[in-house]
Amino acid sequence: MADLLGFVLSGLVSGALYALLATGLVLSYSASGLFNFAHGATAYLCALAFYELHSGFGWPAVPTAVLLVCVLAPALGWGLDKLMFRKLARVGETAQIVATIGLLVALPALGLWTVELLADAGASVEPAENQFGLPGVGPSPAKSWQPVDGVGVDSDQLIIWAATAVVALGLWVLMRRTPLGLKLRAAVDNRSLVELRGLSADRLSSIAWMLSSGLAGLAGVLATPLLGLSAHDFTLFLFVSATAAVLGRFVSVPLAFVGGLGLGVLQNLVAGYADFAERITGFRTAVPFLILFAGLLLLTRRGRIAGTAAVDPPPVDYLAGRSRLRRWGPWAVAAVLLAISFYTVTTPFWTGLLAQGLALSLVFMSFTVVTGLGAMVSLAQATFVTGAALVAGLLLSHGWPFVAAAAVGTCAAAVLGALVALPALRLGGRSLALATLALAFLADQVLFQIGPLRNGDTGWAVPRPVLGPVDLGDDRALGVALTVLVAAAVAALSALRNSPSGRAMLAVRSAPAAAMASGVSVVRTKLVLFTLSAGLAGFGGVMYASYNTRVTATDFTAMTGLIWLAVVVAAGLRRPQFAVVAGLVYAVVPHLIAEHLTESTHLPVILFGLAGLALANDPDGYCAAIPVRLHGRRLAGAGVGAAASEAARADAGATSAAVAGADSTGTVASDAVAAGAGSTGAAPGSAVPDGAGANSVAARGTVSPGSGDADSAGPSTADGGTADGGSADAATAAMPARAGTGRAVAGVGGGRQADVTGRAGGEAVATALRLSRVRAGYGGAAVLHGVDLAVRPGEILALLGPNGAGKSTTCRVAAGLVAPLAGQVYVAGRDATRDGAVRRSRAGVVLAPEGRGIFPALTIEENLALYLRGRDAREAVYERFPGLAGRRGVPAGALSGGEQQMLALAPLLQRPPKVLIADEPSLGLAPRVVEEVFRLLTELRGHGTALLLVEEKATEVLKVADTVAYLAQGRVSWCGPRAAVEADRLTEAYLGLASAGEGVARP
Amino acid sequence: MPRMTRTIATVVAATAMLLTAACNSASSGGTSNAEDSVRGVTDTTVKVGGIVSMTTASGYSKKDTDLGAKARFDRANAEGGLHGRKIDYLGAEDDGQDPSRNLAAARELVQRDKVFAIAPMSSTTFSGADFLQKQRVPTFGWGTLPSFCGPSYIYGFGGCMVPTPGGTISQTWPEGLEQVMGGAEGRSVAILANDSDAGKFGIRTYRQSFESAGFEVTYAKPAVPAAAVPSDWSAYTKEILRSDGGKAPDAIVSVMQTPYNIGLFTAVKRTGYRGVLTDPTDYDPGLLTKSATRKALDGVHVLTSFQPFEQRSAAMTRFGEDIRKAAGKDVPLNMHMMTGYMSADLFLAIAEKAGRDLTVSSFQKAADGFADTGTLVGDRAERKGQKESFGCGALVQLKGGTYVVSAPFRCYPPIPFK
Repeated sequence: MADLLGFVLSGLVSGALYALLATGLVLSYSASGLFNFAHGATAYLCALAFYELHSGFGWPAVPTAVLLVCVLAPALGWGLDKLMFRKLARVGETAQIVATIGLLVALPALGLWTVELLADAGASVEPAENQFGLPGVGPSPAKSWQPVDGVGVDSDQLIIWAATAVVALGLWVLMRRTPLGLKLRAAVDNRSLVELRGLSADRLSSIAWMLSSGLAGLAGVLATPLLGLSAHDFTLFLFVSATAAVLGRFVSVPLAFVGGLGLGVLQNLVAGYADFAERITGFRTAVPFLILFAGLLLLTRRGRIAGTAAVDPPPVDYLAGRSRLRRWGPWAVAAVLLAISFYTVTTPFWTGLLAQGLALSLVFMSFTVVTGLGAMVSLAQATFVTGAALVAGLLLSHGWPFVAAAAVGTCAAAVLGALVALPALRLGGRSLALATLALAFLADQVLFQIGPLRNGDTGWAVPRPVLGPVDLGDDRALGVALTVLVAAAVAALSALRNSPSGRAMLAVRSAPAAAMASGVSVVRTKLVLFTLSAGLAGFGGVMYASYNTRVTATDFTAMTGLIWLAVVVAAGLRRPQFAVVAGLVYAVVPHLIAEHLTESTHLPVILFGLAGLALANDPDGYCAAIPVRLHGRRLAGAGVGAAASEAARADAGATSAAVAGADSTGTVASDAVAAGAGSTGAAPGSAVPDGAGANSVAARGTVSPGSGDADSAGPSTADGGTADGGSADAATAAMPARAGTGRAVAGVGGGRQADVTGRAGGEAVATALRLSRVRAGYGGAAVLHGVDLAVRPGEILALLGPNGAGKSTTCRVAAGLVAPLAGQVYVAGRDATRDGAVRRSRAGVVLAPEGRGIFPALTIEENLALYLRGRDAREAVYERFPGLAGRRGVPAGALSGGEQQMLALAPLLQRPPKVLIADEPSLGLAPRVVEEVFRLLTELRGHGTALLLVEEKATEVLKVADTVAYLAQGRVSWCGPRAAVEADRLTEAYLGLASAGEGVARP
Repeated sequence: MPRMTRTIATVVAATAMLLTAACNSASSGGTSNAEDSVRGVTDTTVKVGGIVSMTTASGYSKKDTDLGAKARFDRANAEGGLHGRKIDYLGAEDDGQDPSRNLAAARELVQRDKVFAIAPMSSTTFSGADFLQKQRVPTFGWGTLPSFCGPSYIYGFGGCMVPTPGGTISQTWPEGLEQVMGGAEGRSVAILANDSDAGKFGIRTYRQSFESAGFEVTYAKPAVPAAAVPSDWSAYTKEILRSDGGKAPDAIVSVMQTPYNIGLFTAVKRTGYRGVLTDPTDYDPGLLTKSATRKALDGVHVLTSFQPFEQRSAAMTRFGEDIRKAAGKDVPLNMHMMTGYMSADLFLAIAEKAGRDLTVSSFQKAADGFADTGTLVGDRAERKGQKESFGCGALVQLKGGTYVVSAPFRCYPPIPFK
């Protein structure tokens, strides 16, 4: 019994640290949707800083710890959020995962390098290597007691428990009892609704990251006596604590916290009672990873279909449609030159270096398959490499010929890949990445510990083959042979990509459900991809081992796989050639840096790690970004048209703009030409026709040089040739408000001048909300083609139209959730086009989004408190809605649909907004409730609120509307007073028969 | 597209094959495999490089190995060099415990810097071994890796320290412990190692070693997770402390690294254990600067495979002076310095024997039948050292903040390894 108590108590020590780390993970994940693999590295950095400040500079322990946890660590979190996480939240999940993995490598190296530089500068820092038994916050050595016989505790453990308890209490108070906590929880619950309520989700995200970093810092400082200064150990610790975050499903802080504690205890119990597994070498070592893997399998909710990461749109293919010579010529020439160089210019040393890079390229190309084609992040590639090489080595030692051994090794890796793929079929995104990582560690610690496979530390000799007259024992011959193999692999992968199966793979990647509907087996495709990738990695591993002439089980560890991934993804995954570039860079750059910059081995590690940082801007890697940017610059230089547009903000540059255009759908519609050739030079010119049936892109627009400040916009053209051919509807130039800001947008096309222009000044004051010539859409597909609407205070404008007419998009543009591609939005006469949802909301424009505008995880009271700060105001709401009063502690998600809608509207009655945009407020409600909703809306009108009401229930809405507008095919086809509504028009509007080109009549 | 890529691939392949076939035959004579290489040797200098893991993610570093080698080469140069040739020591490349960088470093030193020999080579990985053997580069380092056992160009400064089945096991540790405990008969020991293949191998080796010395081994398990140091040791200590028929064993032998030993010994001591604690890795005066480690390791007997710094001898005094001179200040001595120093020393001793006409062949010939006695690592003999360790060692005990010799430095006959 004392045993058990001991195990539980001491398990709570590591459990407390797991809890701290997991809580931080959950906080940062819910703030920005990012699983921070570098969380452990942050903890390590704080441990290092604590050690240097305390032991090196002699600062007192407790103040130093407080400074680190409360100031420096949060500052680091804030900086990283600003620099990187915030941008990463907008790119695909692959780039997110990889960028933080890069950080995981870079941060510790950065810390160590700083220490090294400080030591060189003569500061009194202590060396960070070979330091054991480091002092923590408490006494060192720790004092120990034995309260119960056989159960000991020491001061370090007590400090960890106490600190964790304080943090748990503090977090609880913060989250449950303060307005800030309420906002944070609201942001976790529904990020976009938070913005609609006028709270900056970015600022909340910053706060969450600061908290998260602070917690990591605390874990780091507390763990110093336990883990010492091993970045490796901190990272492993983090991976284990990820299990707890999974338990909290990445959103629940309390669950993650309790999960962390339980995890520590469970781990201790298994270690204590796992005698049954004594005969399996490495089992105890692997326990945390078994728990992680099991946790992922059992606890991950099946989110996406068959393990696909976030859909990241492909970049612009600026070479699409060019001749094959243009596409492949440079690469072929490079390959031939490389092959020739082995026998002409390179020294033996460089020959070896390049051959090593080429062998690695084969391995790196496996990422192109699994992550590039399959959008699955596999962190187990190193496992396939080791497995294949060990098997091949084993067979070679039994006298097998090289080719046969390599083939069997490759197959072994492929089988291993298929086994690893099985969880992939269930998990997706970060869960898949974590699961493959857990499997990689399991393989390192159990599979590759099997004596007959690993042959101790000696490993297996993998002599280089002699193929006919070619003796690959010569580095030069090996180099040429590898060039040929790499070229063949590149060609094969490109052919695969363009084959029917390749198209199926891409289909599964971008839309699994659609792929399934078209008869593509998602499961089979995933399995094939993983198997293929593992086989390729395995083959690369055999070749690499043969370059090495030996393989040992520790040559490529799971951690090596992490660095590889960062290096490959930084270069780019879209084309297999990029992997070759990555392989060569990985082999050559450290040498160049050592030669020319610094002897310190930290710098290359930092560079490789920080390459992930660049992904925040160029999620498709530098190999794709450099030529695309150059290409964009060339285009800009040639004056070919990238239309100036507000949509192409600098930060969207490479990301969203690149999406437009070459979306392989063939719709290079004029609206898609939105890439601003701005001062950043980030103009991936999507204006190039990709030959896939693009209809008259920008061809008919007259090019006219920008007549304003050139740096802001660059040359622009009017967009000619919309889908229906005739009505070019540019005319953005002449808006008075814009001219007044000094930013000239030139380029009037052949279209007619907008009739709103003249009215703009006079009427603006009277309207509460006015949309003028708004054109908007998503990812290159235009939805609105010039919408004009105006709502005055105390007026209900009902917006009617068939499905797909653009009603919701109109609402989103009005609320600031979607930035228009052209046109203006005025709030109370002020140009608010550039304001996001937060500023719009603060200006009094409130959107009640489609569905229910509530935070389901928050209670009724909390939902109200987000809009009504004062207790009196809330009490007034309860008086008006006694149904809510009795259940104020109930989570809003538990209410019925009608009650939820009441809850969404109730606070607005108490504090009426200037403008309310209601997107289908009656959706899915019983007729009696619908009446009640419309009564509330009418009441709001009485308070002077301007209402823009989108409805499908035309009959009901016509009873309350003052003005009615019909939306069809992205245009207002008719707009007039309710009295003028004719049944025919209504029918036409609903059936979408109204011609879009019809004149716009306004009262 | 596929047609095009196929065409390109064919072109590339054809070019490559032609080139390979044309040039391969011509190349075989031109490499450094020439029979009597004088790579790195001029009339006045001999070029030597080193490979050491200095920066690692685990926080373990052998950085000072470089200083040790430098100290030894400095003295050799001060004494007039090798038959009139100065040693041009390039310093050590950092391999960061990364196998690919280990090989890259070996290639760089041989192919670009054209060194005659590599001394020291001290790392946890030695993937450059096959390359160095093939390129005929005499290499000297810490023989804790299998590559130091067998290949004719690779020498461990204390011999090959990895027992191979059919070879021998050094009895230094049990013999030393016998002196400490006043005999082996009737004494029980528990051996603990990491849960990995290497740990399993260590258990197998030392179980045989201690048993054949007469100890009763009551516990020998590779049980401790190898990936990260456990935060809690109770699960392991409980079992060990009951292993001798419910009682604690007379000695606990740890075959693990320092962070593990600190955790284990602290936990064991807290239970009130009074027996002998011993491990093979913690002879590092640097550990004494931290009060927590000083307390954890107090009383522990540490095995060293070289003469302890505390054992005053002429050679040891000279070692201390050389290090101080090379460092430019007083620095605490540690085993990494000794590794570098003695790796350089073995190279110098064999090269000295090779004479003025220094080539790889003459060097190798001198190594055949090389032997000397009374060095800091005991009695050295080649090629025996490429099969087994020199078999010498001592135990030092940490007592009240300083190390004292508990079993003086001696050489013991090895036993066959089954």
